[in-house]
Amino acid sequence: MTLLRVRDLDVSFDTPDGTVHAVNGVDLAVDAGRSLAVVGESGSGKSQIMLAVMGLLAPNATATGSVEFEGTELVGLGEAALNRIRASRIAMVFQDPMTALNPYMRISDQMTEVLTLHRGMSRREALAESVRLLDAMEVPEARRRIGMYPHEFSGGMRQRVLIAMALLCRPRLLIADEPTTALDVTVQSRILRLLAAVRSELDTAVILVTHDAGVVAGSCDEMVVLYGGRIMESGPVDRVFAAPRHPYTRGLLDAVPRLDRDDDTLPAIPGDPLNMNRLPAGCPFAPRCPRVHERCRRDRPSLEVHAPRHHAACHDPLEDAP
Amino acid sequence: MSTPLLSVRDLSVTFSVRPEGIRPWARGRPLRAVRDVCFDLAPGETLGLVGESGSGKSTLARALVGTVRASGGRVLWRGEDLLSMAPGDRRRRRRDIQMIFQDPLAALDPRMTAGEIIAEPLVTHEPRLARERVRERVAATMERVGLLPEQRNRYPHEFSGGQCQRIGIARALIVEPRLVICDEPVSALDVSVQAQIINLLRELKRDLDLALIFIAHDLSVVKHVSDRIMVFYLGRVMESAAARDLVRSPRHPYTRALISAAPIPDPEVERRRRAIELKGDLPSPLAPPSGCVFRTRCPEARPSCAGESPAMRDFGRGHFAACPFGDDA
Repeated sequence: MTLLRVRDLDVSFDTPDGTVHAVNGVDLAVDAGRSLAVVGESGSGKSQIMLAVMGLLAPNATATGSVEFEGTELVGLGEAALNRIRASRIAMVFQDPMTALNPYMRISDQMTEVLTLHRGMSRREALAESVRLLDAMEVPEARRRIGMYPHEFSGGMRQRVLIAMALLCRPRLLIADEPTTALDVTVQSRILRLLAAVRSELDTAVILVTHDAGVVAGSCDEMVVLYGGRIMESGPVDRVFAAPRHPYTRGLLDAVPRLDRDDDTLPAIPGDPLNMNRLPAGCPFAPRCPRVHERCRRDRPSLEVHAPRHHAACHDPLEDAP
Repeated sequence: MSTPLLSVRDLSVTFSVRPEGIRPWARGRPLRAVRDVCFDLAPGETLGLVGESGSGKSTLARALVGTVRASGGRVLWRGEDLLSMAPGDRRRRRRDIQMIFQDPLAALDPRMTAGEIIAEPLVTHEPRLARERVRERVAATMERVGLLPEQRNRYPHEFSGGQCQRIGIARALIVEPRLVICDEPVSALDVSVQAQIINLLRELKRDLDLALIFIAHDLSVVKHVSDRIMVFYLGRVMESAAARDLVRSPRHPYTRALISAAPIPDPEVERRRRAIELKGDLPSPLAPPSGCVFRTRCPEARPSCAGESPAMRDFGRGHFAACPFGDDA
């Protein structure tokens, strides 16, 4: 069952230098209990899509298109209705847990507030439930630690607290925006394992926004690859990794050094990331693409089906690997 | 084997910190950020330092260039002790050792042009050099790192992150150092640009016979650029070996955990492997565990690990690990 369906989403910003088109015609869908990776580099628009889904875009941003969640259209929905959905059905975890927590409030107050407000629990019930969630997220001595302030936690533990908070109302969808980017690798693997457990045990769908192809390979079912605010490729993780169709996806996967290989040179993608103030007329990746044709600079390729559920937006897509 | 460029012996760095809640007149407590580090670096060699936050790898780099005072040990540059050298002599030696930083934009003065930023170390070390010569050297260095000399009059904010890092590299190279210390030089960059900078550093090292000390938290990146790798945990060296050897046959349980946790961009490989999870959280560096500092999180810890701090064991071919049980895997 499709839980979230985004159709033809555009996000643009009014800036002193003119309108910046951060997200252009993006479609994506997540089924209940599945995980979707949204992969892209800085400026790809990956975070803006998620903020648009949550209705949390900056005041100078405009979103058009459709964001349908459990059958309700979220674009243009009133603040009160949106708040009900945000509180209990969709939750979000950010890269920097410190900025997402209130530094002046004890964790216990931040957690119980949600439960008394949205689930009508008494303060005592709320506290017990909060401790249970911290326990589930492997925060040691949860009963004692819940009385502490955010700064008293280590980075990895703070991120676990944030995930526990996100789960207070048993959301159907958890959006995690670079949840492990600021963390050490040994801490990262634990957070990813916990997110996988949330998905299988609570049947919560997870959207993982990341720049790290390694993280995607280990923890997601489906993926979309963004560049310059557009989807370059989308499909099942196994298929996209095994046979990427878009030269950008190929380049991105090849550019990551692998611990299990002894390659000498790293095939880098030449050039610099796009300047979003000056988007090219054709394919956004054309200025850096090794397979670029005249046509690519002129006409923007649309997303075409290459295999079941496997799409790529390219005039000259790569063939299947032999 | 040639004589080492740099020999570090028992280098330690201790900070005095005042934890919250202690009386303002009380003495600070010692935080031993780096303890008893030893290594040799040959000309043209790349040594990778890897470790998670709080491991002391950046403090070690700062102690080598003298921006942090070492509390003990020796740093020999071609046989001369940098730590006991008169400040003037050390400044001249410093020319041979340059540094590149993590956040390329933050490391560059926003009010100076790219050309001025790159020229600055040269003008400092050779104040009598003619302006025309400085211009030529700046242009040549810019080309060497993949920048256009025409861009010399632009300011840092007009460059992308990758280009800013190239400016940082040019600034380090213009005085023709023998050793460049790179502190997380690619961790703030996008993947596609990260690969460009890694390749540039490898190329420069080969063409200029530069030695590099490459510090990063990402073992895959470190392995890719390094000849040899040292693994740090809580200020101490856990293991050191040739790069491929370290990744293929790690001897220390911490190194094994690091390797198992490094994600590999291949769903099939990822499905087959399991990360070794470390128990608990990083202990406070103010109160490190007795004996082996890793023992509180080590999956293979035994009671004896709390006793003496384990000595470096020699596994042959330059492979050392600070664990008495290193061959059990």
